[in-house]
Amino acid sequence: MPVNYLQVQGQILDKCQQARQNQQVYRQRLEQALKLLERFAGELDTLRAVVENARMADSTLRCAVPLNEELNTARDAPVMGEMPLLLAADGSQVNPNRHDAVEFAVINTGLFRIQPGTAHTPREETQTQLYLLEDLHNPDAPLTEEVVALRRDLTERRLLAERAAAESARPLITLTDGPLELFREPRDNPQYDQLLRDYLNILQKTNRHGVVSAGYVDKPRSDLVVRLLELAGEQNSAAQETARRRPLAGVLDRVIFARLLGAGQRSAVFAIQSGMAERFADYDPALQPCFFYLNVSAGSSEPYLARVEIPLQTAQNSDLLDALHAALLQQCRQMGSKPYPYALHRAHEIALISRLEKEQIETMIARAMRAMGLEVEDKSFKQYHKENR
Amino acid sequence: MTASLQIGRLLRSTTSDCVIGCRASELNVPVFGGMVRIPLADGTQIYGLIHNIQIEDDGLIRQLITSDNVSEDVLLDNRNNRNVPVEIGVIFVGYAQNGRISHLLPPRPPLSLDEIFTCMPPEVIAFTGSGRFGYLRHILRAEDLPQAELLAAHIQQAGQMHHAHGSPGWVEAVTRELVTLLRDDYDRLMSVLSAIGDVNLS
Repeated sequence: MPVNYLQVQGQILDKCQQARQNQQVYRQRLEQALKLLERFAGELDTLRAVVENARMADSTLRCAVPLNEELNTARDAPVMGEMPLLLAADGSQVNPNRHDAVEFAVINTGLFRIQPGTAHTPREETQTQLYLLEDLHNPDAPLTEEVVALRRDLTERRLLAERAAAESARPLITLTDGPLELFREPRDNPQYDQLLRDYLNILQKTNRHGVVSAGYVDKPRSDLVVRLLELAGEQNSAAQETARRRPLAGVLDRVIFARLLGAGQRSAVFAIQSGMAERFADYDPALQPCFFYLNVSAGSSEPYLARVEIPLQTAQNSDLLDALHAALLQQCRQMGSKPYPYALHRAHEIALISRLEKEQIETMIARAMRAMGLEVEDKSFKQYHKENR
Repeated sequence: MTASLQIGRLLRSTTSDCVIGCRASELNVPVFGGMVRIPLADGTQIYGLIHNIQIEDDGLIRQLITSDNVSEDVLLDNRNNRNVPVEIGVIFVGYAQNGRISHLLPPRPPLSLDEIFTCMPPEVIAFTGSGRFGYLRHILRAEDLPQAELLAAHIQQAGQMHHAHGSPGWVEAVTRELVTLLRDDYDRLMSVLSAIGDVNLS
């Protein structure tokens, strides 16, 4: 049976109607947020104190913390004589599926090295890690989809750190898609703790080599700055109460900064206040996650905002910050009307595991298992029928 | 004499033609109308003419053309690294077995990933100078090809080789054969003769 389009149509109309009614409230909140941003733009000490007080009252607090630039900062793209060397990595995975004939997981990491603006052919590389049999069924460290995703993040950063260590060029930028902060679950087991320590260790090594670690978040839905403004505007209320009421709920940071940032401009750099950010800073204060917004659109086109996450060490080094700013814009310009860093797109393209490749790996495993006298099951009947449509 | 150059590998084939894939960075060698050979495992050499060179695109290429300025590094990346092959169409015109040249279709098509080489002048001269231009019928039968242009390109290239190797009458002979083969098809004959009229052997 096809989708019941009649039912869907009715639901679409209901939701749109509701959203239209909420538009007025949303506009008021957006204007309020912009006013608060202007009002507190230069009151950095006050804002830091507000966040510190709120953090004491609410350990789950998540918001932006200003560093040393005013909130309404809009920095033009720096002019660079020579673009920095760029290493981008992206991972792709096959998650274990008990319905397959052979249960396995694969993490494929693509690395792309480009020296922008030169006549050198960029280099590409892939690393593939297979998880099979005993790897999957360790009761102390089960390989769930979340763990595979966490290992993928870790592998991306590890490969970047290894290749960066072999490069002498500076500045050198390593880039991944998504935030530097980790959000994977579960966070309360020894396996997660170990993987997080490994991740932080890699970021620390990269930092110490003077290499920039950056995470690029396309079309960000974050409201870290908005949450900061909520705290600033409600200083007489308890932080937990403000967090519960969310007076500016629905307003996204990118909407605010789209009003402030011209083409190619970046926002002020903020630190992140969160439980995970604290774990980063506890491991090494130089790793405190920070971020800025970047309007990657060109010329007269509509603003298009990305969020870029960096460790504190980079945030405090204006030369590295400028190099990153310029490199990201140069990379986005390569993609014409839909700006996104070319190097990241290529790393993604290299890493992608196609269905055909997955089947090929499955065949290789089954053949090897049979050759060694190991039993290979059939795929589940459910899977068979799904594929047989 | 320089050795013949490998220009790509076979993607797919039938008994009468095939498609070769090569990287964009290797595209400076194959030319429209050029003669190629495909060695088979049993020693047979299949001969063909390049009738089509197709540059494929994909989503990224289509996106990159919207950029004001495609930088040199991105250009090199797309030509040297990315898996977007140039497809070259080849029509078979004969084969050689145990040193004997035949203008019949090959006994079996080549297999996927077989290597394809450009033909060197002695090979072109030997193939086109053998028999009585029987290979022309394969071209004239393939009505979906740009026959007149393909024949003109082939005659220009092979004619220059024959001319340089002491057979200046080859172009006249092949033209006469085409007139004979197309005598009942005036429109096609005029189209072919018009194209051949543009051949420059200097």
